[in-house]
Amino acid sequence: MSKKAASLPPIIEIRKLRKRFGGTEVLRGIDLRVYPSEVVCLIGPSGSGKSTLLRCINVLETYDEGEVRVNGELMGYEEVFGRDRRRASPARLRESRRDLGMVFQQFNLWPHMSAQDNVTEALVSVRGKSRAQAEALGTAMLEKVGLADKLDSYPANLSGGQQQRVAIARALAMEPSIMLFDEPTSALDPELVGDVLEVMRSLAAEGMTMVVVTHEMGFAAEVADRVYFLEGGQVVEEGPPAELFNAPKSPRLGAFLSGWNRRNA
Amino acid sequence: MSHVPDFSIAVAHLPALLQGAAVTLGVSLASIVAGLGVGMAVCLCRISRRRPLAWAARAFISALRGIPILVLLLIVFYMLPLAGIELPPVAAAIIALSLNSGAFQAEIYRGGFASIPPGQAEAARALGMGEGRILRRILIPQVLVRVLPSLVNELIMLLKNSSLTSAITVVELLRASQQVVAATYRPTEIYLTAALLYVVMNTGLSALGGMVRARLAGRGRVTA
Repeated sequence: MSKKAASLPPIIEIRKLRKRFGGTEVLRGIDLRVYPSEVVCLIGPSGSGKSTLLRCINVLETYDEGEVRVNGELMGYEEVFGRDRRRASPARLRESRRDLGMVFQQFNLWPHMSAQDNVTEALVSVRGKSRAQAEALGTAMLEKVGLADKLDSYPANLSGGQQQRVAIARALAMEPSIMLFDEPTSALDPELVGDVLEVMRSLAAEGMTMVVVTHEMGFAAEVADRVYFLEGGQVVEEGPPAELFNAPKSPRLGAFLSGWNRRNA
Repeated sequence: MSHVPDFSIAVAHLPALLQGAAVTLGVSLASIVAGLGVGMAVCLCRISRRRPLAWAARAFISALRGIPILVLLLIVFYMLPLAGIELPPVAAAIIALSLNSGAFQAEIYRGGFASIPPGQAEAARALGMGEGRILRRILIPQVLVRVLPSLVNELIMLLKNSSLTSAITVVELLRASQQVVAATYRPTEIYLTAALLYVVMNTGLSALGGMVRARLAGRGRVTA
């Protein structure tokens, strides 16, 4: 646990989480806690379940067993007194995603809308803001990610790095208390990675709670309060980056890190 | 018997032919619009997770694609009065054509939906948008852009198929031509003129599709 988190209850609490895709169990009993204002990075080889874990937090994937709680609220299920829990209603699900912003590997901007409209769409349709309020907030968010001059650009006319920053602005505009990042720089050309990481760094410095699935070990080492190493759907090792990266306890993490060092030497 | 084509006869009867063409255009446009509604509704049922809805849509598509349009026209025209519903032939024509086209359009839209990456809806869901709004604001606009070429194709087919409504006494371009032929006995000139009018209308339709596409592209929206 990091210093920031000393006395507050966890903002995300995951217990004994299990998830199957058909016959394959991709999450095999995950426990994870995130405290307010923490930056937690999830690392591990591809197929280790880290993206699925992230997507279970805002229930883009429905999990099978265990529980995910955000601000104490059970995600994806409704607790029925004296009976088995049941799937949350669509309305309940929408409401429970209120505190969570998400950024995707493939940006997922809507190509038929300008940058400005991408950011304002949910402000109007979900938050019920007026067009004028939404545009003011949207403009401010795009300025924050350094794209004040791209309000009217369509995604097709933006670079990957710019698209990802619009996607970050779109999530931030909803004023979430937690941001989930699913390999936000993996689809970017190397020279565009820096701008996106810079925006994420400044978010972390502002005290945003962040859960980041990443292959950027440099970013994890520098910005994360804690790092989880996953393999085969389980947490193999967890702790501050200095400990994990400099003195890995498990041989599997050691092998993963030395493989990464070889590729990026 | 042979004769030299004399198009002055076609010119003399042009008002009657144009009137027929106007009916063709009217019936087709009405069926196109109704077919869009039918097609999208059937498609949404077809891709719905609710089994009975998907199953019903499947049955509708199989049936309506399987029945020849001429047969469908005759069924609608003769059966509705039996059920106590008196409709003018034009209305029966629009019902039959839009049902037929709706079945084909449903499959076109299904392909369109399948071509959109799942991340598009996921991003909206993560922002708290409901499924209905995701359809209206995020998915359907993109589907329409993507299927535009196939849709224009289908609309051209529909306009040509509208000539079959002559069989249920709709005085559209073909039936108007037949009436002129009956009076003048000059089938070559009259049917060639009718063919020319069909080509003109369909060229207009495809130009319209091109304009819509160019307009969307001009706004940087068409990426495919």
